[in-house]
Amino acid sequence: MRFFDCNVFFGLPMQRPLAPVASAEALLSEMDRAGIDCALVWHIAQHDAAPQVGNTLLAEGIAPHPRLYGCWTVLPNQAHEFPPPEVLFRKMRDARIVALRAFPESHRFLLNAVSMGDLLDAMVERRVPLFVSLRRGSTWPRIYDLLADFPELTCVICDHGCWGEDRMFRPLLARYPNVYIDLSQYLLDGGIEALVDAYGPDRLLFGSGFPESYFGGMMMALKHAEISDQAKTAIAYHNLARLIAEAEL
Amino acid sequence: MKGTMLEGSELVKAWWEQGKSDLCPIYDMHGHMGPFHSIYFPRGDTEAMIHTMDAAGVRLLVFSHHAALFSPDIGNRLSIEAVRRHPGRLRAYCVMNPNYPELMAQDLRAFEALCPDVFVGFKFLSDYHQVPLTDIRYRPVWEYAEARGLLVLAHTWGGSTYDGEAVIQEVAARYPHVKFLLGHACHGHWDAAVALARDFPNIYLELTAVFDDRGVLEVFVNEVGSDRLLFGTDLPWFDPHHALGVLANASITDEDRHNICHRNAERLLMPLAPEVIG
Repeated sequence: MRFFDCNVFFGLPMQRPLAPVASAEALLSEMDRAGIDCALVWHIAQHDAAPQVGNTLLAEGIAPHPRLYGCWTVLPNQAHEFPPPEVLFRKMRDARIVALRAFPESHRFLLNAVSMGDLLDAMVERRVPLFVSLRRGSTWPRIYDLLADFPELTCVICDHGCWGEDRMFRPLLARYPNVYIDLSQYLLDGGIEALVDAYGPDRLLFGSGFPESYFGGMMMALKHAEISDQAKTAIAYHNLARLIAEAEL
Repeated sequence: MKGTMLEGSELVKAWWEQGKSDLCPIYDMHGHMGPFHSIYFPRGDTEAMIHTMDAAGVRLLVFSHHAALFSPDIGNRLSIEAVRRHPGRLRAYCVMNPNYPELMAQDLRAFEALCPDVFVGFKFLSDYHQVPLTDIRYRPVWEYAEARGLLVLAHTWGGSTYDGEAVIQEVAARYPHVKFLLGHACHGHWDAAVALARDFPNIYLELTAVFDDRGVLEVFVNEVGSDRLLFGTDLPWFDPHHALGVLANASITDEDRHNICHRNAERLLMPLAPEVIG
């Protein structure tokens, strides 16, 4: 069983956690210990410091390591802090950055058509995935508003918490065809089975939430979920690989 | 899985390959049952929970039905009925809601009659009932448990004025013979949990919701010792396989894993339910 983790960061958070993972090399060592093949990663400075700072640290960190794919952070761009979408996408391709993240609550902006229409329209057209986290910088009402504006957006909802947020994300799965659910912190007993039964396996992505959570928890949960081997393989690896392959950068 | 964490541990290999190990039965010391308003449970009924327990090698679940916690109209009745249907797999905590002292008196009489065949301890949910563990209304139950050396599982949360470290310290000192299980291990205030476990030999740290915070398990094992930790999942909330994956991935030994999964619970439950422990 191969694992492609969609939700991993490295770097030192502003507030020291119990078990920080400072570098891409330290991350790879932990991935080897757990048996994770590849990971879509971001750098904590993208959130804690500034996207411009963290994006650079991320690109530098993953450059020597082909098992790591990057996820940059974006902001509204009326002040031209970032290049226009076409240039941004080219830079992403050159740096093995395959997706984007936004933290609207933490970074004090509105993730909607008025603020970010140019970029989000381009992301829809190019099928570039946007990751949003309920643990950091997003809320359910914001995500609902975002998808109302961009119903075709490829959007991965991460870190939705241990309270079994089915009543929040199931309406989005039902309405928007390109919404995906990251499994990290989805600890609900029988939850994976129920979701696969309702929506099929293609809308779920294996994620650990490492380094704040252990790789092994969701690996074991998925390994022993009562779903077909084909469904496990899709969730563990191929759904994320497909999303990355479909992005036209 | 091809990770190096599989190397050198037959237990971890068994968990990974079979989802359980005959050599390491699980005693889940913190469970619930039935529906709850804020969450959808795919496996919230008794039979579905037993199915999950079978899959993960959980020999015994000690639980309190959600109705016992949140519906005084029903109280502990559904917990009792579930244990009677599955006496080999379930035991219950008798929930005490101090907002209803008259019901507490009834519950205490029921406990007297049904311990240990149904009940093996008490459950306090102070954060939700909004009554501090130190409140005088809890006193009859604390004193009853103290006189008999019984188990008390309390929901505990770091910093809470109802069940945080300050009130835990007070009741742990006052009732040294109670086997005091800190549900969620004073969640978030891990240093306080370590200090409490070091200061009070009657305190055990129960690990529900701890498994999702990387690094805490190693801190507890290294600074408290695995002989004071108890496996728990809030079933039907959290998949026990997730917890096994964390125990496999954490930097602890197989001895620690055995202590957490069954040895400590067996020691606590042996006087109460020897037929289940076998």
